[in-house]
Amino acid sequence: MKLPVAEAPQVRAYALELGRRHARPLGVVAALHVLAAVAGLAGPWLLGRLVDAVTAGTTTGEVNRLVALGAVAVLAQTALIRTAQRRSMVFGEGVFAELREEFVETLTRLPLSVVERAGTGDLVARTTNDVNKLQHAVRFGVPRVIVAVTTITLTVLACVLVAPLASLALFLGVPALVATVRWYLRRATPAYLRESAAYAVLDGTITETVEGARTVDALGLGARREARMDEDLREAFTAERRTLFLRSVLFPSVDLTFVLAPAAVLLWGGWLASQGQVTIGAVTTVVLYAYQMIGPVWELIFWLDEIQVATVSLARIVGVRLVEGDRTAGTAVPTDEHVVAAGVRYAYREGHDVLHGIDLDLRVGERLAVVGPSGAGKSTLGRMLAGIHPPTGGRVTVGGVPLVELPLEDLRGHVALVTQEHHVFVGSVADNLRLAREHAGDAELEDALRAVDALGWVRALPDGLATEVGSGGAVLTPAQAQQVALARLVLLDPHTLVLDEATSLLDPRAARHLERSLSAVLAGRTVVAIAHRLHTAHDADRVAVVDAGRISEIGPHEDLVAAGGEYAALWRSWQHT
Amino acid sequence: MRSLPLADPGTPPVTGAGAYLWWIARRQWGILTVAVLLGMVAMGCQALLPLLTGRAVDGGLEDGFGPRLWGSAALLLVLGAVSALAGAVGHRYDVTNWMRAAFTSSQLVGRAAARSGHAITAELPTGEVVSAVANDALRVGELYATAARFLGSVAAYGVAAVLVLRISVPLGLVVVLGLPAVAVALALLVRPLQRRQAAQREASGRLTTLGADTVAGLRVLRGIGGEGVFVGRYRRQSQAVRARGVHVATTQSWLDALQVLLPGTFVVVLLWLGAHQAVAGALTPGELVSVYGFAAFLGWPVQSATETLGAATRAHVGAGKVVAVLRIAPATGTGRGAPLPPPGAELVDEASGLVLRPGRVVALVAADPDASAAVATRLGRFDDAAEAATPVRLGGVPLRELDLAALRERVVVAEAAPHLFSGALAHELDPRGTADRSGLLAALAAADAQDVLDSTPDGLDGALPERGRSLSGGQRQRVALARALLTAPEVLVLVEPTSAVDAHTEARIAARLADVRRGRTTLVVTASPLVLDHVDEVAFLVDGRVAAVAPHARLLEDPAVDAGTRAAYRRVVDRRLSEAAGDAPAPPDDRGVLTASAPAAGGRP
Repeated sequence: MKLPVAEAPQVRAYALELGRRHARPLGVVAALHVLAAVAGLAGPWLLGRLVDAVTAGTTTGEVNRLVALGAVAVLAQTALIRTAQRRSMVFGEGVFAELREEFVETLTRLPLSVVERAGTGDLVARTTNDVNKLQHAVRFGVPRVIVAVTTITLTVLACVLVAPLASLALFLGVPALVATVRWYLRRATPAYLRESAAYAVLDGTITETVEGARTVDALGLGARREARMDEDLREAFTAERRTLFLRSVLFPSVDLTFVLAPAAVLLWGGWLASQGQVTIGAVTTVVLYAYQMIGPVWELIFWLDEIQVATVSLARIVGVRLVEGDRTAGTAVPTDEHVVAAGVRYAYREGHDVLHGIDLDLRVGERLAVVGPSGAGKSTLGRMLAGIHPPTGGRVTVGGVPLVELPLEDLRGHVALVTQEHHVFVGSVADNLRLAREHAGDAELEDALRAVDALGWVRALPDGLATEVGSGGAVLTPAQAQQVALARLVLLDPHTLVLDEATSLLDPRAARHLERSLSAVLAGRTVVAIAHRLHTAHDADRVAVVDAGRISEIGPHEDLVAAGGEYAALWRSWQHT
Repeated sequence: MRSLPLADPGTPPVTGAGAYLWWIARRQWGILTVAVLLGMVAMGCQALLPLLTGRAVDGGLEDGFGPRLWGSAALLLVLGAVSALAGAVGHRYDVTNWMRAAFTSSQLVGRAAARSGHAITAELPTGEVVSAVANDALRVGELYATAARFLGSVAAYGVAAVLVLRISVPLGLVVVLGLPAVAVALALLVRPLQRRQAAQREASGRLTTLGADTVAGLRVLRGIGGEGVFVGRYRRQSQAVRARGVHVATTQSWLDALQVLLPGTFVVVLLWLGAHQAVAGALTPGELVSVYGFAAFLGWPVQSATETLGAATRAHVGAGKVVAVLRIAPATGTGRGAPLPPPGAELVDEASGLVLRPGRVVALVAADPDASAAVATRLGRFDDAAEAATPVRLGGVPLRELDLAALRERVVVAEAAPHLFSGALAHELDPRGTADRSGLLAALAAADAQDVLDSTPDGLDGALPERGRSLSGGQRQRVALARALLTAPEVLVLVEPTSAVDAHTEARIAARLADVRRGRTTLVVTASPLVLDHVDEVAFLVDGRVAAVAPHARLLEDPAVDAGTRAAYRRVVDRRLSEAAGDAPAPPDDRGVLTASAPAAGGRP
């Protein structure tokens, strides 16, 4: 299942809503740009007046007066441009900041099941590529389009005012221009998206080659990696050739329009002048306006293109808002710390139940080990018990209240889940810890680290608690990362903990050290430990064997061994050596 | 247009950035020349347009609607059309030049990365190599794309300069010298802008990292409920980026304003001088229009020159980065071409005394997992220089003297934490490309990885994402094992192939693995009793030397084996069983996960 992408009307509605929210600054910016564009029209107008003045015979005083007017126009335009550009960029920054913050907030509230089914790749691409593409369009594109549109409109208007009849010739090439640009814009977006996708794949390929250099060498994959890269470049070439074709039609067409316009104005205006309908000076002004319009028209075409591409990104970003939540918080408050699962079923895909009605009554303060073969549903059960996903059937409650009806902020005060995934967040060690308790003081953080036996190495880091870690920062070993995760649990202080293979990806020595830290965290809590090491089960109060989505056996280790069932067989095979 | 990428990117000099850029230019000399000629035609025609516009104005003023006006207008049309066409064809050549240079650079970097083994990650951060393809190669290409436009601009500037000087020497001098001065002034102003932009880019890059981090850590975040705090951090960084953006806006808006003020002032001065000359009769009105037109037109070549200067600087830096990657010497040479010994030769690690006899399935056990993994690494010949002192011989010949490709066919060492690549599962499973579907399925079965077929849409034909991210840690390990088995080499070395799977699965894999490799030389580095049970014999490493070689059961119990060795072996194997239970040296109160008795600071009472 893929993450939704917003339809055109939804994107439009969102953009309009954004525009409405910022109607005032948008209006001010547009007004400033109109004034600046008006001032920018002075040059050709002056030259036209000068041509007429010189032709008719004039004085140096008159010339000086006209040129001084030009100087004033330049100064006015300078001041207006400065204010308008600053305001529009500040405006763009503000709108874009709002947009990305809203997006990330939506992101963190997405149901995990949706994210996992769609794969994180798509979501990462939306968070990075799409946000960046949109950023360019919102911060630069929108202001530039405003400028280009006002400049073009006002220039045409000025032409019409200066020489209405002569200006008619300006529009000779316009129908062809509009047709070509429409033809181009309709085809451009998919073509450029294909192009950027091709380069993204290429970047991915080289990243893989480098990151897997050792494996490439060991398995003799060199020739294969080269072939893959050539394949990616071939696709990039094909994509480039397509966009090149589109530009090969667009460029000469637009250029020819701008060749046609001044020539037509000269001829038509020349004839009109010979009829005494217009002065040559006015015709000159219109010709120069025609030249002056080339820049803004190109800019408009360029940005329309970019904005079209950005709209696709916006559709993907707005699409994330369309994902429906998987829970609605209620107001009920749990009466105690007793976690109970009743008739819990779960299906990742409809009709394919992974859990077939699990009943489990966790005794407060007990240690329950969950064992069973891979794919039996152990981790899914863990997630149900931690309220990560709402069950497809049945319910998991704490103190009588279903977990998924607790507000997310409250839920974690009751049950927390730790998996083998040890993600270190970008930021300082302290930032990583405060995710669990936002306003914890340094002393509290240090206590938590001490509890998990991690204070020593944290203090030894270059900046102690303030050391930057995560992507780009100091590198933590998997064991250290897991200790940070455990220290977070100490700060979070939930009464029930679900540990899903919390130490299984660590090398044996690190794991041994870590379990000492772990024991500190577990004291006084109800613990569900999903494990593949059977000694864990041996030490637990009770063991639950999960097989094919059901609890096949449950009870204390000794009882299960004595019962001679599946667990007993497994235990014997471990004992054997 | 020649199809890209080229089959052979060639062998560039790696002495420096300049030499590299020159090498590329020489390789595409033909298309570069065509591009430059077209650029000159396009820009040269443009340069004549202001002159013709002026002539048309004078024609209209003096003769009315007559041949002079028609002629000028017609010529304007023809030259404009020629310029437009030359521009369009020239753009095709520019892009071709760009692609040839960029793709060649990418290919070269890709080949260097694919051939260098671990030397590439040892010498350069991954990001730099990736950036050599993602950015630097494209920047190298940019130089050749702008070259034509630049040289065309130089030609156009020359034409226009001559024309404007012929109209009026003082005005011509103002135009020809004044514009570059304006351009230099603007270029200097760009510096502070670039600094602020860089600051914003950096903040923005950090924000992107934070965003990507949200997704990567979403599961962890959800497990502990840190969403609100995290969003708060993102917001703060987002506002920091915005503040930097406002800084940029301030500088940028000044620059934009100056881009109006400086050329505007320049044109006003020009108009003032020109109009006075016109009033004095030294200049016709049409010539005044031409001079104004030239002043506007010449802005383009000047802008193009500054752009090219920027592109050249970036290309030089980019070429330097590309060359840095190309300079990396592979960790293993291609060998001295010594003939490979016939099949069935013994593989001997002299440092440890390990002898792999043909056809035996052997496990290697050591108290220190690093020591046994080091032996496996040596057997793989991953670094000729590092392994010079600890030779490994195949049939008596040191590995580093053998042809590398042929050796990789015969001996495969699959290390711990192998990398999975993106692509169709069937393709990625089969590095040699020799297995049929039943072979693939058999290998997956041997690695107990059939469940992967269910979790990958479309099964064998389904796509595996980068690093096999859609799979769990255990699944990834089992897929990598199936892949190693499918290389079906004469000698296969597997390092900790089952460290991330549960006991049930490990037991199944151990039995099937031994069956699949029965009769073919295989070494498994592991201390798991479930695996040791199934191999022909176990080599036990003590202090880096093989202390005993015997079947697992005998090493544990056979009195014929030295008692001290037996005890040491039992300690290693037992510890593996009970490692996390804390039976190994550890404080007495440390009995494992579920027997926590230590009071926790900050824990619940």
